[in-house]
Amino acid sequence: MDRRRIRVLLVEDEEINRVVARAVLRAAGVEADEAENGAEAVRRVRERVGAGAYDLILTDKQMPVMDGHEATRQIRAMGVTTPIVAVSSDSLPSDVQAFITAGADDFMPKPLTKEKLGCILSKFGLA
Amino acid sequence: MDYANLRRQAASLKRSLFDQGYLDEQFCQVEDLQDEASPNFAEEVVSLFFKDSARLVTNIEQAMEKYPKDFNRWDAHMQQLRGSCFSIGASKMNNECTSFRNSCREENAEGCRRSFQKVKREHAVLRQKLESYFQLLRQAGPARTTAVRSGGK
Repeated sequence: MDRRRIRVLLVEDEEINRVVARAVLRAAGVEADEAENGAEAVRRVRERVGAGAYDLILTDKQMPVMDGHEATRQIRAMGVTTPIVAVSSDSLPSDVQAFITAGADDFMPKPLTKEKLGCILSKFGLA
Repeated sequence: MDYANLRRQAASLKRSLFDQGYLDEQFCQVEDLQDEASPNFAEEVVSLFFKDSARLVTNIEQAMEKYPKDFNRWDAHMQQLRGSCFSIGASKMNNECTSFRNSCREENAEGCRRSFQKVKREHAVLRQKLESYFQLLRQAGPARTTAVRSGGK
């Protein structure tokens, strides 16, 4: 039986972080779209409403145009319930709480690794 | 050419980079992402890191010059560099970036300047060491199997 491919939206402004995360996602057999800032992420999520939502959104915090907190808030305001996991190098309790308050489901310190991705996919029943 | 010796030299250099704290486990994770489709992934990522980090270092330098004591701005720039360091496991650089950010939080301009000099120094050292590492790997070429084919059937 063919397993449906998991679709992830990766929201990250720095190219090097996208390159590494992309490779981690590819190694896990996950399809990934990318957004370089929060505004583009919101646009992509809006485009997919009704057309097959993302299974998971991974978002950085600090980005130009719109940061991860605001993107999370706006995605939740659309009624989208896709799991959102913040992946950020700012991992103080206050940073984590800010994301959770915005509507994220979990927080993972950067960088994304195969192991961390595995934990995330398991947690949300995507493994 | 003694490929095995070159590979041993590369392995030894890599071990020393870990032992001396220049790199952490994340570097192994990056190398682990190499596959047949991306056999030079680690070198490409490292190359991208140094291209990116050079730009970020320049941004920080300019910010410190043009916006004296604008600690929020300095911190925001350094946060980007620190994020990059995480991607390849540039541990020592990361630590100096953290020192800089701590000085920003304390609004300690002199502390920021000292930390920034250390960031630049660690950046230069890491670049030189990783260039040597990948040069050795390139010279060594892909690992050759030592299995001897039995003659024939």
